[in-house]
Amino acid sequence: MDAAARHLLNRFSYGITPALAHECTSHGGSHHWLEHQMRPHKIRDEFANGLTHWYKTRSYSPHELWQHVQHGNFTGWDVNADLARWTLLRRIYSRRQLLEVMTEFWSNLLHVPVPDEKAWPHRRGYDLIIRHHALGRFDKMLHAAITHPAMGCYLDNAESTRVNPNENLGRELLELHTVGRLAGYSEADVKQSAQILTGYRVDMWHTWKPYYSPADHHVGKVGILGFHSANRKHDGRPVTAAYLNYLAHHPLTARRIALRLATRFISDEPSPHVVADIAKVFHHSGTDIKATLRALVKHREFKRSAGAKTRTPSEDLVATMRVAGVRAKKPSGKDSDFATAVLYQAEVMGQKPFNWPRPDGFPDAAQTWSSVSRVLGSWSVHHNIAGGWYPTTAVHYRTPKEWMPRLPARFDEVLDLVSRQILARPASDSLLQAACIATEIKRHERITQDHPLLVWKMPRLLHTVLDTPTHMTR
Amino acid sequence: MADQVLQGGQGCPECQAASGLERRRFLGLAVAAGVTTWAGVTGTVFREVALAAGGSADNVLIVVSLRGGADGLSLIVPHGDPGYLQARPRIAIPANRLVASNAMFGLHPKMAPLAPMWNQGTFGAVHAVGLPHPNRSHFSAMEEIEDADPGSSERRGWLNRMIGLDHDRRPQQAVQMGASLVPTSLYGPQPVLATTRLKDLQMPGPSDPEGHRRTVRARHQLWDDKHGALGRGARSAMKVVDSLARLAGSTAPPHNGAKYPDGDFGRSLAQTATMLRADVGAEVVTIDYGNWDMHVGLGTMEWGAMLNTVDEFAHGMAAFFKDLGGLASKVTVVTLSEFGRRVEENGDYGLDHGYGNVMLMFGAGVAGGKVHGSWPGLSAGKLIDGDLAVTHDYRSVLSEVLKARFPALNLSRVFPNFKPEHIGSMKSS
Repeated sequence: MDAAARHLLNRFSYGITPALAHECTSHGGSHHWLEHQMRPHKIRDEFANGLTHWYKTRSYSPHELWQHVQHGNFTGWDVNADLARWTLLRRIYSRRQLLEVMTEFWSNLLHVPVPDEKAWPHRRGYDLIIRHHALGRFDKMLHAAITHPAMGCYLDNAESTRVNPNENLGRELLELHTVGRLAGYSEADVKQSAQILTGYRVDMWHTWKPYYSPADHHVGKVGILGFHSANRKHDGRPVTAAYLNYLAHHPLTARRIALRLATRFISDEPSPHVVADIAKVFHHSGTDIKATLRALVKHREFKRSAGAKTRTPSEDLVATMRVAGVRAKKPSGKDSDFATAVLYQAEVMGQKPFNWPRPDGFPDAAQTWSSVSRVLGSWSVHHNIAGGWYPTTAVHYRTPKEWMPRLPARFDEVLDLVSRQILARPASDSLLQAACIATEIKRHERITQDHPLLVWKMPRLLHTVLDTPTHMTR
Repeated sequence: MADQVLQGGQGCPECQAASGLERRRFLGLAVAAGVTTWAGVTGTVFREVALAAGGSADNVLIVVSLRGGADGLSLIVPHGDPGYLQARPRIAIPANRLVASNAMFGLHPKMAPLAPMWNQGTFGAVHAVGLPHPNRSHFSAMEEIEDADPGSSERRGWLNRMIGLDHDRRPQQAVQMGASLVPTSLYGPQPVLATTRLKDLQMPGPSDPEGHRRTVRARHQLWDDKHGALGRGARSAMKVVDSLARLAGSTAPPHNGAKYPDGDFGRSLAQTATMLRADVGAEVVTIDYGNWDMHVGLGTMEWGAMLNTVDEFAHGMAAFFKDLGGLASKVTVVTLSEFGRRVEENGDYGLDHGYGNVMLMFGAGVAGGKVHGSWPGLSAGKLIDGDLAVTHDYRSVLSEVLKARFPALNLSRVFPNFKPEHIGSMKSS
């Protein structure tokens, strides 16, 4: 696989498996692969689609979930945990890798944490609307997200009324979801932003049914950053739609989203130049996400950025499972089942999906993901997976033999093949030296069926490859 | 001792209004004797402890970040200001429920476990502090407070600058306890340690000693020459694991019968106490506590988020100082929050984002038992967009703490281009 293709796949998938590399080649290269990925419904994905039946809490409506929790059948924590597990498994196993990557990106921008004590009954539904729009248009996604009951419950809009407006969502909509603080909006703008959003209620703690309450909508003239409305009607939904549409198409929103995209897919500190270029396409395309991504991957700065991003702990976890070829089986009800315990591994690493307590979403820069805890957490999970020590049930780990070239072979030849499977490239000199140290095997040593490498040393070789800077960056 | 505290108040002309009230209370309760006793006893015990451990006697600064924007008016309640009750008809705390109150201020009732420290003068507060200009965005206000170097584009927090002024390069000199993310205040070129649990500070790998040694050597081979944040993190990890190995396995219970509340905050404090006892060279510890972003359901004296959040805070802090015992004489705790909250309550028994706030200070060197600062008042004309005004920059408070506890530091390099004002929040030794 050439370096440019590897770079693109590293950024728009959760880790290059031999199967993914093959898929890319058979589509005629990475750019064709990306185009193919932009139509996720055309990609067969039976295994990942079936995952939804592995988690019983996924089959209930918000009201049913609440009733089950009231009756003590399971807890809100279980509901949250199942969403996080399902998400991790989809990232590992879905063939719609771009959709998964972009769903994570937008979920982090329009962030509703898991867990959240008020948003949880609606959080799965929220995930579905993000997925629905993740490769579509931002303006539609913004409207769906901001008026969704999960967002309303999380940032208090579901309790905000004409008489008692609550500023929380009105403020974060401006600061985090759209134009950002550079827009220079005033405190009065924040108040009016909240007033426009009044009316979207949720029957919290009862049926959890969302409803629009015209009586709770603030009526009267509003003006925010150049958006004006007489706002005379008690049904404020058209005004809200117009306001959100205005914000989605605001040039500063384009800039902010371009910066987030560039930070996610290019480098921690993208140049103002590339941000401006991406923003222009986002803006002129009418917030078209596919068009924006195409412009991003064609950009010079993207092409020069291979390896510049540090994998977040959960990216490291998912990539580790993918490249190590760990196969999950339907959970048997044990805590040690892969489909259950994968969440505990995420916890050891220091990052569970959506588990960021603040509305600004996870940080996306190496400096936050390079702490001592993070490094030790990653190495610990690499070690567990390399040896197949944990999770222990409803899982299949590759046997040492499955990693081997035709035997006998020299140790450096074995390492080279392992490196190609895990890192999508041949072994570097530094890796060869490290592997020799870790396994106590000489580089030209002959490896046969009964060599200690196959008998008991394979875990050491695997975790050495997983512990490399190459695997922990993308 | 009493004179020193009073002089602190007198040294600042604009503090007169507030400190006049304080003075009466202070002399009336005669807590000065308590302060002397505490300092005297702990000083001796500490010297013994330090000698026995063969460790250094460096002072320790602990910064507790009350994330989400804590309502300072609920923590240190200005019940003597008529504006308080007017603005909060439903969520105001009745004056007769307050703890350690004087004519103007009183502590939240759930601060009761900390009342002894207040009365002994090892717990104090500075009110109406904050950023020089209002910033009601959580994220940008946190950045601004923790970067503490406005105008500079260098991404480096004030605590990272602080630990960079000596020759100590060990990551454990500054520790974020209880979270694996490095906060803005610690971020920068000086290596630091961020950890969820001390027991995680073990080198993962094979359990047989030879395999383990080889794994470590292999990791050195892979990482020793790697640039960038992750390379630094990996090298710090290997270094820290070496020097803190004995801590990782420790499961010793808290000392002196201290009982921490359940939850992350209590756990982080307990681990901090364990770490300080082991004297591994930690000089700065940062701990994040709570979700103070109470737009909805801050609540009343019967229910709500504030009751529980303050309760956990007070029990945690009291347990921490009990656990520290003699070591308390080298430990100073200060709280920070990105902003205070709106003076007027909203319709959901909550408070929206505000401006001026309170800073709480505990432990060594604190001129406690009183509320320092200059109270701007809560009448309509005194508020900034409906929020408590700021009469002292928060960096003035931090400067006083650093000056008292780390006198060798060059403060102008910790807070560049900043001239601290005198507040009197620390004892002038």
